[in-house]
Amino acid sequence: MNTKRAGLQHFLLRWSGVAAFLLLWEMGPRLGWVDGYFLPPFSTIVVEIFNLFADAYLSVHILVSVWRALVGLLIAVLIGIPFGILLGRVYPRTAEALSPILRILSQVNPFSLLPVFVLFFGIGETAKLAVVAWVSVWPVLFYTMTGTRTVDPVQEKSAASMGISPGELIMKVILPAALPTIFVGIRIGATITFYILIAAEMLGASAGLGFLVHNAAMNYQIPRIYAGATFIVIFGYLLNRALIFIGNLLFAWQENSSTTVTANATVTTPSWRPGRLSAVAAGIALLAIVLFGGIEVDKVNKEAASTDPGAHSRHFGTPVDSGSGN
Amino acid sequence: MSTATDTSKIEIKGINRIFPTRNRGKGDGPREFVALKDVNLKVSKGEFVAIVGPSGCGKSTLLDILAGLAKPTSGDILIDGKKITGPALDRGIVLQGYALFPWRTVRQNVEFGLEIKKTPKAERKEISNRFISLVGLDGFADHFPHELSGGMKQRVAIARALAYDPEVLLMDEPFAAVDAQTRETMQDELLRIWEETGKTIVFVTHSIEEAVFLADRVVVLGTNPGSVKDVLDIDLPRPRHNSDIRSSAEFGWVRHKVWELLQNREVKAEGPHGYGPSVAEAISSSAEL
Amino acid sequence: MNPLPTAWHKIAAVLLFLILWEVVPRTGLVDPLFIPPLSGVLDALIELYRSGDLLMHARLSLARAYVGLAAAVVIGLPLGLLLGGWFPRIQTATEPLMELFAQANPVILAHIIIFFLGIGEVAKTFIIGWLCIWPITFSTITGIRTVDSSLLKAARSLGLGRGQLFVRVILPSAAPSIFTGLRLAAGYAFIMLVASEMMGGSNGLGWLIVQSQENYNITRIFAGAAVLTAMAVVTDALLKLLERRLVVWDVDVNEDYLKLKTASGEGP
Repeated sequence: MNTKRAGLQHFLLRWSGVAAFLLLWEMGPRLGWVDGYFLPPFSTIVVEIFNLFADAYLSVHILVSVWRALVGLLIAVLIGIPFGILLGRVYPRTAEALSPILRILSQVNPFSLLPVFVLFFGIGETAKLAVVAWVSVWPVLFYTMTGTRTVDPVQEKSAASMGISPGELIMKVILPAALPTIFVGIRIGATITFYILIAAEMLGASAGLGFLVHNAAMNYQIPRIYAGATFIVIFGYLLNRALIFIGNLLFAWQENSSTTVTANATVTTPSWRPGRLSAVAAGIALLAIVLFGGIEVDKVNKEAASTDPGAHSRHFGTPVDSGSGN
Repeated sequence: MSTATDTSKIEIKGINRIFPTRNRGKGDGPREFVALKDVNLKVSKGEFVAIVGPSGCGKSTLLDILAGLAKPTSGDILIDGKKITGPALDRGIVLQGYALFPWRTVRQNVEFGLEIKKTPKAERKEISNRFISLVGLDGFADHFPHELSGGMKQRVAIARALAYDPEVLLMDEPFAAVDAQTRETMQDELLRIWEETGKTIVFVTHSIEEAVFLADRVVVLGTNPGSVKDVLDIDLPRPRHNSDIRSSAEFGWVRHKVWELLQNREVKAEGPHGYGPSVAEAISSSAEL
Repeated sequence: MNPLPTAWHKIAAVLLFLILWEVVPRTGLVDPLFIPPLSGVLDALIELYRSGDLLMHARLSLARAYVGLAAAVVIGLPLGLLLGGWFPRIQTATEPLMELFAQANPVILAHIIIFFLGIGEVAKTFIIGWLCIWPITFSTITGIRTVDSSLLKAARSLGLGRGQLFVRVILPSAAPSIFTGLRLAAGYAFIMLVASEMMGGSNGLGWLIVQSQENYNITRIFAGAAVLTAMAVVTDALLKLLERRLVVWDVDVNEDYLKLKTASGEGP
């Protein structure tokens, strides 16, 4: 009971900052401390978010953005992990020689690449996916290299003592041992990606969360800008939390992650652990999102192109109201 | 067994191991470090041999060579009269740092060698059950290493090394990381397992007491260069586990004898080369896999 | 294993990369319209330099990035020190808020920022600074939080006062983590610099790139991108050098990416 109360107190304390900020946001415009036109009170924003949901457009934009982030990230993972293993373990001397180039390339600004990709691939999905993949491939690659290099030598030694083949050593020892580190790279890639993607969508897209905000701004729908931005913040926060949660779930086996039982302790039944079934389920879900998301994104793009060729400044599917707002 | 002429299971013939060292500064010190010099030893089938020596005497290097993880500069290791060429499943190894795979459960760890051996799944499970039970970890099969204590982890490591049925078990200071009480329990357990399985065991330790308690013979290595100083037969009665043999006068006497042998060598180790044991340790631990 | 050959390997690898950059577009393996050969990019660079545009834009961009970064340091570092060192309860209370703030993409808010601050330099500094503050603050808090407690005990037993303890023990111990955050922030500064210059204004390398894109002048895009990359790389190298000077005890200065693990746990 006591710990429960302490937990509640901690929870309240933790979120008191957010509460105070939101209160300030609500009161500021209402009491006339700031111009309510440029900064509408928070409650107006909440209503606007619900409006966006009710219009069913928000879900389309979410889907489009998530699909882009996911596919781009998948590309980055499919490139980054194999190359990370190759450079980290198989050809360490090559990796050493390549390190300055990799470092310089990883510093190439994604926004300065965007125009190149747009010229290269056109304004469609490929340019955005290329930017997303470019941004997230570096953390995945570097963390894979680091992770595969820092495997406990004692583990490798004991596997080697059983006469393990080099291929098996990578699949059964090095890869699993490096996976937590690789996952950190993927998580960093995912968060940076989401960030850059939203920005890229503002610079040129016909759907997606970034486009939503950009479009609202073009039409001077100020509450909608805030609503979109707030939603993106919450979404990004939840995404980050979810990835941390998944990481903890997957890598609960890490040494410092939980208490130990002693020989004379009662045998406890292990709590739920992700097994083969959940891995398959996750894989199928991922595939489904990529496939159906792709079909949906294609549909959205075609629709946008047919209703409004040339310009990309109109909100997908909304009634044309850009003329009235200013 | 196949070569009926010789009863020795392991034969170590004239092993030398020399590490090249970087010549720091302008001093004209030795360009190489002799970790092992002309080591010869025979181990019979089913024998328990302990190797003791001060740190840096090359005992871990010797074990690595036995495991096939390191190559001697010269000399041969014969097992059943056949020269070894590298690591293989005829020798199991247990290392000081447990070396368990933390992402695998106890059972999956024990089955690791069997997977490499491509043993069918059903058979694997049957074997792992048997060895988990042998080391006294019934009910912990589905636990992960991080949920186990140090002693339990070492039991898993022993079960893993035994599971693929090697004839020789090589142990490199396996109990160095566990507390004193657990250590004694583990020594008792090891003797029980040894008697049940009849494996040939080569056990490296720096604890004289441990060596005397466990082994049929104690090989005393000296430092710089690492070479066999003496081999002592331990004629203490068996079974020794679950007995108070450690406090007997006989035990104390044997212990003292080994100690004297080691002391003797230690004095000489302060020789003209000026290599401290730490240098030697650093070299031997960085030996290539 | 000798240091000299690896240095040569690195130089050789860079040269090989540059040669490939020149040769591959020339042979037509990739369309030189999209990836122009190195010489073309160099020509564009020289031309930009001769006209004086390059220096003008680069100087402005560099100043913006550095001012934004400096603003972030001036705010983020003391904030991290105060929250991490003195006011743990306030830190707890503001942690989720700061995490949410760190998620707030200034590019999305650009329109709103422009409402309030106009399109000028203040808005750009704000956009850059906003993103840079969070890695600095978070890594400072992490650095202070993870100071070895036995070190603190030992120092206190020597009779060190609060101020002394802070200057002599806590700050040096936290320094590696703080530097990790700084270098992360420096990377973000250049990313946001380009984004902010693309959003509006009439100068800077980001603007130059957008201009070149509109004129289909690909060599100029590459020239601008190359200068930006060089600025980011040099800045990172300078911070690394500074770190090596100040943090001599941290052995693994080279393993940057592993160290990022701690700082980016909460970062955007």
